[in-house]
Amino acid sequence: MSEKPVKGERRVFMTGNEVCAWAALAAEADIMYGYPITPQTDIMQYWTRLAPKYGRKFLQTEDEISAGFTTVGGVIAGKRAFSATTGPGNTLFQEPMSMAEMMRIPTVVIIPQRGGPSTATVIYSQQEVTMTTYGGNGEGFRIVYSTAGHQDLYDYTIKAFNTAWKYRFPTFVLGDGYQAKMREPLTIYDPAERGIKMVKTEPLVGLPGTPGIHRPAQYLRNTYNTEEELYDVVMEIARDYEKAASEIIEWQDFDTDAEMDVLILAHGVVSRSAQGALPLLKDEGIRAGHFRPVTLRPMPEEQMRRAAAKAKRILVVESAYGQFLKLVKQSLYGMDKPIDTLLRPGAGVTAEEIVDRIKEGR
Amino acid sequence: MAIRIVLAGEGGQGVQVVANILAESANAEGKEVIYIPNFGVEQRGGVSIAFVQIDDKRIGSPKFPKADIVVALSNRAVNRTLQYVDERTTFIYDDSLVAAAEIDERAMGIQAVEADPRSQRTTELIDESKVKDQVQLPDNAANIIGIPANDIAKNELHPRVFNIIILGTLLKATAVVPLDRIKEAIEAKLGAKFDKNPALRDLNYKALDKGMSLVERLV
Repeated sequence: MSEKPVKGERRVFMTGNEVCAWAALAAEADIMYGYPITPQTDIMQYWTRLAPKYGRKFLQTEDEISAGFTTVGGVIAGKRAFSATTGPGNTLFQEPMSMAEMMRIPTVVIIPQRGGPSTATVIYSQQEVTMTTYGGNGEGFRIVYSTAGHQDLYDYTIKAFNTAWKYRFPTFVLGDGYQAKMREPLTIYDPAERGIKMVKTEPLVGLPGTPGIHRPAQYLRNTYNTEEELYDVVMEIARDYEKAASEIIEWQDFDTDAEMDVLILAHGVVSRSAQGALPLLKDEGIRAGHFRPVTLRPMPEEQMRRAAAKAKRILVVESAYGQFLKLVKQSLYGMDKPIDTLLRPGAGVTAEEIVDRIKEGR
Repeated sequence: MAIRIVLAGEGGQGVQVVANILAESANAEGKEVIYIPNFGVEQRGGVSIAFVQIDDKRIGSPKFPKADIVVALSNRAVNRTLQYVDERTTFIYDDSLVAAAEIDERAMGIQAVEADPRSQRTTELIDESKVKDQVQLPDNAANIIGIPANDIAKNELHPRVFNIIILGTLLKATAVVPLDRIKEAIEAKLGAKFDKNPALRDLNYKALDKGMSLVERLV
């Protein structure tokens, strides 16, 4: 067995893309499949530089459809396989990821979101929320972690492999172009030294023994003949998903214990702007709190509702034109709370802009 | 204390190297740092711009509306960075590269509206070919400082250490990291080259000193 890539704990200063490559190494990922697209390409570049030193593999495919399917194939072969894509590449990934939902394939895909629709910008956005949570012709049986910075990228890339393999759902680390390209300090560590045990992987086909005699038969199917057959399968996935949801959901809340004039709802890197806005709002005499869902799928609905119940108004802030807002409305359905918005598709949001929006709304 | 810096220039001026060394050394000093290089679809020919934030506590949004210090190293860089300037900003530009307009073009615009456009043509007032290459400096900055870094590099040192002069200027202006940390970061980046050619080390440190001598501490 080759040497561990990360030993002990180390403070480092690197780009988010490099962080993802190190995290995948530390998580004992066996292979990355990928097709280049900005701002994701550096993950592949760092991986291809680092992976051979630790006996890990890489395959560049001819496009993203193929990158997605080869990732599915790698997992079926029992490998801790992952990929990374964004924007139009994420669009093409929806076909293989639907298959992963149906066949319960624990793929891991890192998505540093870029601007949309279409080619748009290679810079930054939060416009791949709908596609990553509910894309493809499926029911959104996926797990999506929305990261807010480099420590998150490291922690949740490692965690994504374990969540995927434990619950057997395709799992996504949803970042953005800022996080991909910027450099900031973080601590990288050997997961084992922090008591994080990597969930064991195993092949999903070609198991030893005779099916039906030595072991149950493996039915890896994404094609069904009758409505009833499909209905039973999808309902079983839905039940498994809902059962697992309470164990998977993660969130953070800030100043949400007391009554609030306004509760800011934001995810990902925009959550940092919301956190930055809180002391500024306090100076203005405005009682504000912030709730950040870390998992967008499954959504920590109860926790969000509990925070919302204590606020007079809600402000939803995102770098998209209402994709997160849609998830919020779905979560807060039936609550009588006015919702204001600060929607900036494809553009960053600063703490100052959030403060201005709240003052303007008063 | 939080310091927000925008650094912009033409590709090849070494703007990202300066931002990188500054960010690395602030990190080594134990500060919180976010450094974002700009990146567009164009591979060549755009204005290169770097955003650096340094703070004692965790930094919020990677983007910021206004900077404490803006450094602009070309006419286009001046235009690109005006949006980050407000009444608290120190605006540093290279006055051997940036041709600052002496006539306020906006004031001229108002005159042109007031005058009868059929009888009054701007060509009669000024030499347009000259104005075309000039750029308006911000009119709302706390300080505007012109430094002849490019001329100094060319005439006194070496054109290649132009960006190290800028680094020295930034270091002095912000006092955000000690000189030793900057030197460590430079050694980490260029140490191998220095070992092959020790004269380079001397040249770079001279450029750093020169840059530091051009301004006072501002933040």
